[in-house]
Amino acid sequence: MSRNSFSAIIDQKLALSVFLIGKVLRFIFFFGFLYFLLLGTKTLAGYSSNQVIFFFLTFNIIDVISQFLFREVYRFRPMIINGDFDLVLAKPLNPLFRVLMGAADVIDLVTIPPLVAATIYFGSLLHPSFISVFYYLVLLLNGLLIAAAFHVIVLSFAIVTLEVDHTIMIYRDLTSLGRLPIDIYQQPLRAFLTYLLPVGIMITLPAKAMMGTMSAMGIILAFIVGILAVFVALRFWNYALTKYSSASS
Amino acid sequence: MNRAIIVDNLVKNFEITEKGPGLTGAIKSLISPKKKEVHALRGVSFTIQPGELVGFIGPNGAGKTTTLKTLSGLLYPTSGFVEVLEFDPWERKPEFLKQISLVMGQKNQLWWDLPAMETFELNRAIYEIPTRSYQENLKELVELLDLEKLLETPVRKLSLGQRMRMELTAALLHKPKVLFLDEPTIGLDLIAQQKMRDFIYNYNSKYGATILLTSHNMDDLVDLARRVIVINEGQILFDGALEELVTKYAKEKIIKATLSKEDGIADIEKIGKVKKLAFPQVILSVPRAACAVAASELLQNFPVDDLTIEEIPIEDVIRKAFKGGLKR
Amino acid sequence: MKKYWGIFRISFQQEFAYRLNFVLWRVRNVFQILLTYFLWSTVFAGPGTQIFGYDRAKILTYVFAIMIVRALVFSARAMDVSRDIAQGDLSNYLLKPLSYLKYWFTRDVSSKVLNLIFAGAEFIILFLILRPPFFFQGDTVALLAFTASIILAIMIYFFILFLISSIPFWAPEIGWGSHFLVTVVIIEAFSGALFPINILPQGLQSFIMATPFPYLIYFPVQVYLGNIQGSALMGGLMVALAWTGVLWFSLKFIWQKGLKVYQAIGR
Repeated sequence: MSRNSFSAIIDQKLALSVFLIGKVLRFIFFFGFLYFLLLGTKTLAGYSSNQVIFFFLTFNIIDVISQFLFREVYRFRPMIINGDFDLVLAKPLNPLFRVLMGAADVIDLVTIPPLVAATIYFGSLLHPSFISVFYYLVLLLNGLLIAAAFHVIVLSFAIVTLEVDHTIMIYRDLTSLGRLPIDIYQQPLRAFLTYLLPVGIMITLPAKAMMGTMSAMGIILAFIVGILAVFVALRFWNYALTKYSSASS
Repeated sequence: MNRAIIVDNLVKNFEITEKGPGLTGAIKSLISPKKKEVHALRGVSFTIQPGELVGFIGPNGAGKTTTLKTLSGLLYPTSGFVEVLEFDPWERKPEFLKQISLVMGQKNQLWWDLPAMETFELNRAIYEIPTRSYQENLKELVELLDLEKLLETPVRKLSLGQRMRMELTAALLHKPKVLFLDEPTIGLDLIAQQKMRDFIYNYNSKYGATILLTSHNMDDLVDLARRVIVINEGQILFDGALEELVTKYAKEKIIKATLSKEDGIADIEKIGKVKKLAFPQVILSVPRAACAVAASELLQNFPVDDLTIEEIPIEDVIRKAFKGGLKR
Repeated sequence: MKKYWGIFRISFQQEFAYRLNFVLWRVRNVFQILLTYFLWSTVFAGPGTQIFGYDRAKILTYVFAIMIVRALVFSARAMDVSRDIAQGDLSNYLLKPLSYLKYWFTRDVSSKVLNLIFAGAEFIILFLILRPPFFFQGDTVALLAFTASIILAIMIYFFILFLISSIPFWAPEIGWGSHFLVTVVIIEAFSGALFPINILPQGLQSFIMATPFPYLIYFPVQVYLGNIQGSALMGGLMVALAWTGVLWFSLKFIWQKGLKVYQAIGR
């Protein structure tokens, strides 16, 4: 009796709205902080106030869209542990697609439109040329590709070690260093963020392209890194599948 | 003290706030909560002597767990009087808590990622058990429950049966005078159930601890409890010896006979209600009072090889009780 | 007292049972500090830069002091109270001759000790790598005031955590969500863990200083740095003390109400 009445009041929507409020507030607080900071300093690592805000917005675009698309990754651990992954493998649907993009996060449907609007607005303040906008969009896509590669690596890692929660949080923490242009970090951290864990290429580069400070060469390089990341991720995924030991019970 | 537990006219109502679906429902329930009263206990009275082992029977939601929780001080009674070891449980005085233990089959107090030994040590500190008696108790419990080899294994790696025995050890380290067991054998396999029952029986007879247990498992009650309290919809339906429950409420007895010939077997219906007829075996159900007559008729008129008279199985009596066959 | 020593010990062991969790949690802390450090290091890159009344040495000391103060104040376990309530494990504790509040406070202290050890090591390593200018406070009064402010911060954080953890008494489904909202979002922003509160406009600053949050990180660090002295120091300590009292009384009130609701209903 009591157990049922208890579970009856569990309300998914209420929980989701609390999270939504949290996410929006976090965005607003950091935004406010950047605003007040730049009010005092005028520039940050040579970037103007609008430019810094644009970096931050680009980070959010990549972060929110990849959370929206790849939300299922956060639910992968129970799937591996209770053996539901067996069912996924048995279906005539690409298992990677299923566990990577199987479920979208509804919260982000609410947050994406205003975020895109803000990005367009602050982007327009940068007075970009048509080609800059084009580069921006293409590099953004490339950034999402790298994000996808990271999520695939997290999944593969989960198959091998049964560990998701921490690897994904470490990934999130690292990408959150991209809230600010990576130029602010000293070497060797900057090199690490550019090449090894290409947060710079994911986030800082697209925004720089919008500001017209990217050469064609740099853009080609970004794509090479993106494709390489996807390639490595898929190889790792295929390797991980061979290590998969189905849950016993 | 000649009463370990006194419960008099205990009433417990729960107020449940109903919440409509969705966000609007949640907000509405915050602004003008719709409350619904659930009557978990409707005037329950009983007393238990020190050293008694009493079984609580009843279907889900009958009020068994609510009673145990009230007796151990987790729930505040809506009305009525409750006294355990001359304490008011609700005050949760340390002296009271040090003398009782509540073990819930579906809850655990053991630290999941550490060996059970750590929880034991912690309980030693919490219950302020003197080192000497702690070591004695632990040694004894560990031997009785056959746990020597498992003490250093992290709890999450134990089987359910092993974990339950560890839970019991943790609950008994402070030698409680009153022990409340809520479904102690739930989910255990037959051997583990038997081990648990043997232990409870021994603990009760050896230390004279007062034990109140609830169970869905009839074997627990048949083996352990001389006295049972049957509770349904928050009211006590029966309180007394287990055999009495059977003689009082099972209006019929069972006659099992083995026949040597099949001739005239159809006439057997005249003697009693045929429950099963599969030659050579026949099972009849006859009114208690007419039992002796029926048996002799059977012996006289049919070629009987073997004949036994039995009580209706306790499960059936109780099942019948909850179907409404048992009324005050 | 021995009871709580037992809890301290087992809680310490528990953290070790989750070694990976703990190490990764420390790694995440380091990332957080790196972001803050490099941000401020960049802002004050130019020689002689003075903004918001800070110079490079002061702001980097602020960031480094945060490392230690964070470990002292933010290391806690009491957020698990939420889960105890939602899943009904609270009953287990109510049955024991033990104060549930003191139980969790002891666990928090044990978490703080462990985290402080690691934070100390991180501090030394990062200090050797980054070689920031750091200001060592030598004034006894400032150090005493710092100690007092840290104790108050620990109490305030504990009470806030416990209050937030009481939400599941009424709404078990938002237990984790409300911790995210308050401890991750609001406290991160207003405690001073990312930026000193006094870079904000005066109005906003006064508003935030009236809330309990800046007394968790910002205030103790400023006291350490000697930026808050005399009557401002006394005033600040009084506000922190007042918040400690208010939070404590609200907790007692809420917890009593919550326990009534909890009533161990099948949980």
